Amino acid sequence: MSLPELGEEIRVRLGVLAREVKVAKGFVEVVTGRETLREVAKTLKEMGFDHVKSVTAVDYPKEGKIRVTYHASSFLNEELSRFMVGLSVDLPRDKPVVETLYPIWNSVEFMEREVYEFFGVIFEGHPDLRPLLLAPDLAEKKVMRKDFVVREESIYEGVPHEYK
Amino acid sequence: MGVGVGGACAKGEGKVYAGNLNVAAKRARDIILGKLKLGEVVDWATTFSLWPVHLVTSCCGAEFAATWSPRFDAEQYGALPWISPRQTNFIIIEGTVTRKMACALRITYEQMAHPKFVIAMGACALDGGLFYNSYNVVKPWEIVPVDVYIAGCPPPPEALARAILDLRKKIREKKMASNWLREGWRGDVEYPMPKEDPCKWWQP
Ligand code: SF4
Repeated sequence: MSLPELGEEIRVRLGVLAREVKVAKGFVEVVTGRETLREVAKTLKEMGFDHVKSVTAVDYPKEGKIRVTYHASSFLNEELSRFMVGLSVDLPRDKPVVETLYPIWNSVEFMEREVYEFFGVIFEGHPDLRPLLLAPDLAEKKVMRKDFVVREESIYEGVPHEYK
Repeated sequence: MGVGVGGACAKGEGKVYAGNLNVAAKRARDIILGKLKLGEVVDWATTFSLWPVHLVTSCCGAEFAATWSPRFDAEQYGALPWISPRQTNFIIIEGTVTRKMACALRITYEQMAHPKFVIAMGACALDGGLFYNSYNVVKPWEIVPVDVYIAGCPPPPEALARAILDLRKKIREKKMASNWLREGWRGDVEYPMPKEDPCKWWQP
């Protein structure tokens, strides 16, 4: 099976559930809405994509949206294990709430926590939604969003006085 | 009458049988560590028993491991990495210190046995290095008093071995260990107190 063939198969299987199916370089990208995300994920899992490699998000402040992307692949199906499927969902920036995919792919648990602490995306129904890497006060600031400004330091700021 | 341990009598001060016990103890310390040159022996002995604790905060830990490998063999300087902070007196900060790791660093430092020494390794431990201007990286000298810095990203194992030699020289020149024995603290460093709790553990 080649990549365009896989894209065609996914397009046929998903039908109207997917807003857009695109064969990008090296992977198939599926864009869907917030309501149909679970069903699309279920269909992909039935096709043989049995785990998620990464969950990430992109912030588009001008368009007022956050795009959450799941990258799914396969361990058990040798043919599918050569491909990757990106499953994206667009969320409004001021209220980014989406249903968790934890019941479908268990491996998203920690990665959804990471997206939650860095972007403030709330995954409804997640069993344990708290910050993973950051301290709670930093996680509140949603540090990976584009409007978070890092304090500029000068080079010699705070250097112990004996080295000045 | 009226000669108490509290030290009201100036004439007998320093005599164990009549005067202030604290003063007597200090005089004994001064004689043993100062006049008898036992302090130099203490410093010399300390240079051969530096026990670094394993606190691999970042990628510099790979170079730390290489330093104790057969090729560079830092054990020849009397330094052997040990697992428990309770049985160590020396800490090597191996790279970037994030805010959560800063808590671990401070707790490890507090648990170590006196007199304690610190080496900060890598550009990240100097001023942030690669992660300069980050929201989640702290400078280790805000957390613990640092004796020797090593530049480089990562510093080669030779540089770490050299830093250990420098630290040994510093201990003997500045009499760090014997001063600690005499005074009960190290007068040559300032102990920083973190201005704010790095990872907000103090809050309920
Ligand atoms: S100085 Fe370089 S090697 Fe060391 S922790 Fe920083 S980035 Fe890693």
